[in-house]
Amino acid sequence: MSKTGIILIGVLAVIAIYLFSAYNSLVTKDEGVTAEWQNVEAAYQRRADLIPNLVETVKGYAKHESTTLKEVIEARANATSIKIDPSNVTPEQLAEYMKAQNGVSSALSRLIAVAESYPDLKANQNFLELQSQLEGTENRIAVARKNYNDVAKDFNSAIRRVPNNIIASFAGLEKHAYFEAEEGAEKAPKVQF
Amino acid sequence: MLSPVISLFAGVYSAEDVPMVHLQDKNRYVCNPDNILSSDSVYVMDTMLANLEATTGIEVVVVAVEQVKNGDCYDFAFNIGNGQGVGKKKINNGLVIVLSTKDRCVQFVTGYGLEEFLPDAICKRIQVQSMNDAFAEGRWSDGMTAGVRRVCGVLTGTMDAELEEEGLMDYLPTLIFVIVLIAFLMWMERRKRKCPVCGKYTYNQTHSKVIKRSGRYIDRLITYECLNCGYKTNKKVHQYKDSDYSGGFGGGYGGFGGSHGGFSGGSFGGGSFGGGGAGSRF
Repeated sequence: MSKTGIILIGVLAVIAIYLFSAYNSLVTKDEGVTAEWQNVEAAYQRRADLIPNLVETVKGYAKHESTTLKEVIEARANATSIKIDPSNVTPEQLAEYMKAQNGVSSALSRLIAVAESYPDLKANQNFLELQSQLEGTENRIAVARKNYNDVAKDFNSAIRRVPNNIIASFAGLEKHAYFEAEEGAEKAPKVQF
Repeated sequence: MLSPVISLFAGVYSAEDVPMVHLQDKNRYVCNPDNILSSDSVYVMDTMLANLEATTGIEVVVVAVEQVKNGDCYDFAFNIGNGQGVGKKKINNGLVIVLSTKDRCVQFVTGYGLEEFLPDAICKRIQVQSMNDAFAEGRWSDGMTAGVRRVCGVLTGTMDAELEEEGLMDYLPTLIFVIVLIAFLMWMERRKRKCPVCGKYTYNQTHSKVIKRSGRYIDRLITYECLNCGYKTNKKVHQYKDSDYSGGFGGGYGGFGGSHGGFSGGSFGGGSFGGGGAGSRF
């Protein structure tokens, strides 16, 4: 084999190794985004799991607030029915998911506001603890969302760089959607009294 | 020794401003820059928390200040936890307890790994039952000591401090590298002592004589002699004035692992926090 041929093979091999490692690092980042998305879902699920208990507790003291209670239950059912494929989140899907989750947030804050007018409920240890769990969960949601946005941003800027953009388009790796900051969503809503 | 200086600026703290006493002295956990807590209570809490870390590996930071930035105890506590990396890295068993007297808030934040053992509801229960009433009356030391005592009660026995040993694997490559390096240097040193005639490791420097000084350099005549066969040789060296060649490499090893007496600083393991915990206003 001629000398030029050997050099050519060598150069191609180096390029191939470079492309493989670039692809692998993109895949690792992509998996990171998926993992963070699962944390976001877990945090929302945690909130959904608290709701039945909270509703039961409030019901015991505030029978006349059936509308507020019903709204919470409906918002929860609506939110838990939306499932998102983490490897392929479009901005529209994410917006829909967020709309449902925000529905739960506002229904819950109305419920907590209602509780204000029931001193017995407010003093109830179980209610107090549920409320603090809810607050902790809102904090967890805020942290999970921020972490998700961070890794998604990292991935999105990685796939725009040369030559990652070419690799990404061949491998079908697409931009991940972000959580948009809306009505103070960047900051954890505090349900602290 | 930073804390007395900073306490002059008592006032509004950000998470980065709080002097972490644990980093200066590994037996201390309570940051009390504004002297809100009595020294007796700080001592009691330090003892309890040192005990807790020794048995469970759980790292706790207690902070009592007059005021935190934006009046938000949660943000403040969360940023201390993640910023300092309180808790062991893989286990994330850190806990930060914050009291801000002027903001009238108390906050626990739990690392990911502690959420299971110290759930939010229990944090809240401890605050409601043992801390808030005392804080409302301004009995800061009583409330904090009672809270920390209950936290220790809940957490004692939940984890095994030995779990931390897993972290050793992270340092293993570095450790091996350092050991190999030291072995190599020792081998180099020993090789220099090998007698070129008889091959025994008894070839030592016996004399050193200055023969010429020129500016910043010194020429020395160094005599090496083998104690076994008596082989003797002279070597002329040209060296920089301030360097003392006679010690060779051997002199440097004493520094490893030496403690300077008194207190030694602790460290945090790099744990992370996910927003768990609970807070109260009083």
